[in-house]
Amino acid sequence: MTSTRPTIESGPTDRVRPAISLRSTEFTLAVLAVVAYIVLALTTHGSVLHADTLTAIFQFLAVPVVIGLAQMVVLGVGQMNLSVGVVTGFCAMVTAWLMVDVGLPAWLALVAGMATGAMIGLANGLIVVLTRINGFIVTLATMTVIDGLRYGVHGTATYQGYSPGLTKLGQGAILGVPTVFLVAVLVAIAVAVFFRRMAAGRRLLASGGNPLAARLSGVSNDRSLVLAHLLSGLLAGVAGVIVVALSGSVNATIGDDLLLPSFAAPIIGGVALAGGVVSVVGTCLAALIVRLVDVAQAQYSINPDWVDLIVGAVVLGAVLITQLRGRAAK
Amino acid sequence: MTVTAEKLVKVFPGVRALDEATLRLEPGSVHALLGENGAGKSTLIKIMTGVLRPDGGRIVLADGGDAHFGGPHDAQRAGIGVVHQERNLIPAFSVAENIALSAVPQRFGFVERKTTRAIAKRCLDQLQVELDVDRPVSSLSVAQMQLVEIAKALAVDSQVLLLDEPTASLTSDEAQRLFTVMRALRDQGHAIVLVSHKLDEVFAIADTVTVLRDGRSVAEAQPLADFGHDEIVDLMVGRAHAVLELARTPVDRDAVPALELDNVSTADGHRDVSLTVRPGEIVGLYGLVGAGRSELARAVLGLDTITAGAVKIRGERARIRDVGEALRRYRMGYVTENRKEEGVFLEQPISRNIAVTVWRRLARFGLVRSRDENALVSTYQERLGMRLSGPAQLAGQLSGGNQQKVSLAKWLAADCDILVIDEPTVGIDVRTKAAFHELIVGLATDGLAILLISSDLPEMVTLADRVLVMRDHQLVGEIDNAHDYERTSQAVGRLLHMTGR
Amino acid sequence: MRIPFWANPRLGLLVVIVVLVAVFTALRPAFLDVGLTIVPMQSDLTVFVVVGLAQLAVLSLGHMNLAVGRMAAVSAFASGWAYDKLDVPLPVGLLIGLAVGALVGAAAGWTIAATGVNSFVVTLALDFALIGLVSLLYSTFSDGVAFHVAPAGLDILRGDTFADYCMGDLCGPPIPLVVPIALVAALAVGVFFRNSRLGREILMTGSNLQAARLSGIPTRRRVIQAHMLSGLLAALAGFLLAVNNGAFSADIGGSFLLPSFLGPVLGGTLLAGGAVSVLGTVFGAALTEVIQTGLNLLQFEVEKFKIYIGIVLLVALSLDRLRHVLAERRSGGTAAPRPAADPVPAEHSGGAA
Repeated sequence: MTSTRPTIESGPTDRVRPAISLRSTEFTLAVLAVVAYIVLALTTHGSVLHADTLTAIFQFLAVPVVIGLAQMVVLGVGQMNLSVGVVTGFCAMVTAWLMVDVGLPAWLALVAGMATGAMIGLANGLIVVLTRINGFIVTLATMTVIDGLRYGVHGTATYQGYSPGLTKLGQGAILGVPTVFLVAVLVAIAVAVFFRRMAAGRRLLASGGNPLAARLSGVSNDRSLVLAHLLSGLLAGVAGVIVVALSGSVNATIGDDLLLPSFAAPIIGGVALAGGVVSVVGTCLAALIVRLVDVAQAQYSINPDWVDLIVGAVVLGAVLITQLRGRAAK
Repeated sequence: MTVTAEKLVKVFPGVRALDEATLRLEPGSVHALLGENGAGKSTLIKIMTGVLRPDGGRIVLADGGDAHFGGPHDAQRAGIGVVHQERNLIPAFSVAENIALSAVPQRFGFVERKTTRAIAKRCLDQLQVELDVDRPVSSLSVAQMQLVEIAKALAVDSQVLLLDEPTASLTSDEAQRLFTVMRALRDQGHAIVLVSHKLDEVFAIADTVTVLRDGRSVAEAQPLADFGHDEIVDLMVGRAHAVLELARTPVDRDAVPALELDNVSTADGHRDVSLTVRPGEIVGLYGLVGAGRSELARAVLGLDTITAGAVKIRGERARIRDVGEALRRYRMGYVTENRKEEGVFLEQPISRNIAVTVWRRLARFGLVRSRDENALVSTYQERLGMRLSGPAQLAGQLSGGNQQKVSLAKWLAADCDILVIDEPTVGIDVRTKAAFHELIVGLATDGLAILLISSDLPEMVTLADRVLVMRDHQLVGEIDNAHDYERTSQAVGRLLHMTGR
Repeated sequence: MRIPFWANPRLGLLVVIVVLVAVFTALRPAFLDVGLTIVPMQSDLTVFVVVGLAQLAVLSLGHMNLAVGRMAAVSAFASGWAYDKLDVPLPVGLLIGLAVGALVGAAAGWTIAATGVNSFVVTLALDFALIGLVSLLYSTFSDGVAFHVAPAGLDILRGDTFADYCMGDLCGPPIPLVVPIALVAALAVGVFFRNSRLGREILMTGSNLQAARLSGIPTRRRVIQAHMLSGLLAALAGFLLAVNNGAFSADIGGSFLLPSFLGPVLGGTLLAGGAVSVLGTVFGAALTEVIQTGLNLLQFEVEKFKIYIGIVLLVALSLDRLRHVLAERRSGGTAAPRPAADPVPAEHSGGAA
């Protein structure tokens, strides 16, 4: 509880945050990413400057960015979505199945794949709102179900050789920028616009920031919850479709290793678990930094196990710094 | 007539919180709603704003129709806005967006920022307040947030504005600015309801007054000019049970003080606070909300930092780092003012609520037997007159008074001989209150040293041997209480308003 | 207005378990085959009960431990390393593993208590870090995957049941030797939270942190102790799994996270803290185990088991909510514990959880 001592000054105007603050999490992350990249460039004799390496860096950044955003959307209302990873895998399998076994044209399969994700998200949201069971537990349960369903599509077998056009597009580039990365950037911009400009996005953040105040202002917190879960599912579906386009072959293990990164990106990016605050830029930059750790591992041929260790340390470090900053501000 | 609440009745199990209370509001006036803690003000406000539904009576709106509020939003739509004590703003949003939140202007699903800003500016202009509408609310001072809340109420075209203790956490300069705003709104034809404990402030700004006592309106919308300070207090307190005569044994003033503060300063802002409490003595610490009384108690218990001075227990210098240490080493306990948040564990059985402080003593080889706990419950059930269905009953199912007894019992069980009791009877009905007073006096008679913090002056007069008055984190005087309400209240009043405002 | 007995989640669970056993037995009589199902089921159950208890230890605070699996892995590594390099006897290796688990748990608890950061984030980060650490440790100190060691007694503990021990004609029941270990653990945790001062103070801390602090409970220490207990139990679960597998390998604990929540949550332990049910956790784990074994016998694909377990979890929780609502309606009470007579009732808090 804060003290009720009379405040001395009438308004701490010096604490106003300008548009781009030098002390913001986003700025820190941007500097960190640039420094890391320069260090990488210097120590690997410029190997990360080669076009091939650059393409690889950004191609495989697409899924972490989108998956991080999928988690961020629900964190915005103070919820969690444990099912993002398996939904990504499931949607990838459904998309491949529609193309290979059902014979749908690629574009239709892509749309259906994304819609599948949205439907699962909608189900998550409705269950949370209707049963009032903790969102963590609900998505734990749906995660379990979908984990099983993933294998229901095609067992443990692999789909490959679907739509050469799609894979060509997925692995291709536009003006030197990998297509899938472009897609991720567009998605990020859309999410940013949604939260900044759209009434629904603002209502969602209002519910996350102060549910009581939101309710008194006529915002339906239930609707915000459902919408957030729906968007989270949709974004997971987008990530699944990106995997299909990028990799050329998919099986049911896709998504197994996505849950932890989905939390890492927003948490490092400065998104509060309590809800009410999101940062698209922070989440994207955090995903980039994690990706650079991966790159470093490959470049130095370090044991890949170090990556997890380092990412774990970075997550904890980021949270501690945020916490300390919060305390200093008080 | 803007809005009239007629003969409202609200019954909570065991208590008639409102008993045919009436509140008539006129446009273009500031109306003071006064009453002691527990008189029914909060309940009345909650009914007016649609948070609670009345069990009897009706609310008549300006158009003559009856209001049936299904929820807070309905009340808002009927033009009744409220500025809550707890801030109802979205911290990460801008001033403009908070003000316009109830009806965000949008086109094709996109927020129209220009219109949002315009709405906010219009409302702030109406208040004659200069504030950058693009600033995030989290960067504002408490006073500024309050103005934003008022602007927010104006944005939905509120004809009635309820302000619940608006100056509780404001400096006097900020309060003056707020009054200017309130006068401006009054002149624009709004009806303003002011709930405040500070009578000076009420007399400075209010035109009419309604006084509640025990859920009844004992003064209904009368011109404030007809009353004096004392008359209002009399109405609020009701002379009949203002001062209860309780037999007191004289305190041995030469005894070593059980608790002594010697020029204590704290990180929270207290300067050179000195006081003593002797065994068998009840020392009252009186002051307005925000004067720093509870904060002082918390610092003594190690919950806040003491920066200078010394705390002495039974004559010896004590260093207390947490409540556990205060309890075990110095046998000092703290009955908190926030019963529900800090005093009891609502979802736990009563037995655990009481035994929590003595498990260390009850445990054999680290294990506690419920038989011992239940024995403890029956002891205090009898001694404090608690009404329980059994030791396994959850504390959350008890009435406020019984919860408070549980909150007290855990310290008695721990054999404390120094007790800091903070606002013991807030929200407790009159009869239970009297029983509580007897109880506290009984404890002092048994030899406990009691530091009593209370904003309830009659309670102070009834219980305390001496009354210390705190203002702005400093002690400004001490009164020997002869249990005469007139004399003590005048003395306290002088101390509280010494330099005038 | 206490909740009537029929709304008790434990009872419901027991009924569901019995019904399922009956159904599976009707479909496949082999379900009651001692060697084929009953014995392996018990061995598996042993692990999952202890995993559930490890999660329960921090749910008591309203916290989570997402690193249960990896705590088990690190501890199992320590045990395996001790057997391999130090040649210690079976119990000593177990103790070393438990100590390591408790230490890691305490570290998590300390971080949470000292910084005030959400337990979810701290244990998530810890999980990340330990995934890497465990693989690194195995690749540095073993052949990269596992310690293939068998200290004296390991095989007996793994393979024997009490039926293998006879006095004359009287043999023990077909219960694996590891079962008593889990039973003792469950009993100990039950007594800990029900009767011990420490356990009760942890529950009080979970119930209301501020009130606990103001009642003289050293809340920071209790937070650390609860996480320490969680680490200790995770270590025990890791050891039991290693015994069942016959090897101390890097993949131990990899599939612990889901079962760790399934047991307690199915058993009626809430995420909010302040109350736990050890018996419910045992039943919850048993239900999961029965479903898995049954589906296995019915020749479902292993990967698809999860569909049914997830659905059971959802249905069970929804029914639980429904039961509560009905029970409250019947007893004429309002929602949850709400103060009965108070002129200034707390404001109803809004929607988002």
